[in-house]
Amino acid sequence: MLLLSSFHSGNIPFLQIAREVIAALLIMLFLYAGLSKWLDFRTFIGEMNNQPFPKGLIPFLVWAIPSLEITIVIALVIERTRMVGLYTSFVFMTLFTTYASAILLHFFAYIPCSCGGLIRRLSWRQHLVFNFFFVILSITGIILQHRKSSKTNLITKNSFV
Amino acid sequence: MKKIKVTIMTLAILLSIGSAFATRMHFDSKPPLLYYWDGHEFLPAGTYGVDFVCVVSTTACTYTLVNGVYTPYQLGAYVAVDAHKPSKNK
Repeated sequence: MLLLSSFHSGNIPFLQIAREVIAALLIMLFLYAGLSKWLDFRTFIGEMNNQPFPKGLIPFLVWAIPSLEITIVIALVIERTRMVGLYTSFVFMTLFTTYASAILLHFFAYIPCSCGGLIRRLSWRQHLVFNFFFVILSITGIILQHRKSSKTNLITKNSFV
Repeated sequence: MKKIKVTIMTLAILLSIGSAFATRMHFDSKPPLLYYWDGHEFLPAGTYGVDFVCVVSTTACTYTLVNGVYTPYQLGAYVAVDAHKPSKNK
């Protein structure tokens, strides 16, 4: 309500809201993904064993992936580190998209399960579309955040002139 | 703007924490006893993700026993995760 009334009264620029919504969507994605992996850690280890990664990498990846997801969430929440969070989520989602594409193109010897919380119900094709949407969202977030930074720099410069 | 920002962030965080717990409870709620077909007989499959996984395939990966009949439960091909496969005793 507060959001809508302020928006209609023209107090809040559309781009500012868009930037916050994009950050919130990415936070939702990574927080949900990271938490659900930790909450069901044994299943996650099993699912990771099913992926076509070198087996020596699995003990590292099962900790690194959810930890990185939660770190991205923290970076996105804090305004000062948001740009880092957006870039990291862009790299992360691009890697996932490339992986999903490689699976669909039969790059690996077998097709592993497409797992992970509610997202485990998606097929690899749906995964690809889902990931691609978040890659686009990250790029949009980076552009909007850059705009904001350059605007702030301009205001700071002008205030010194 | 600060109020709106805090509202959006709080909503996002609460929603994702809530859904992570909700889906976990859903998956933990009384899983049925699963079996797989080894080509000769039905054997206990164990726990999904721990003892086995289902790789993408159009066949039935696991079965449940419904009124004495083995009924397909999950789609895919059964693949044991490690060497500690469940014993053949039912």
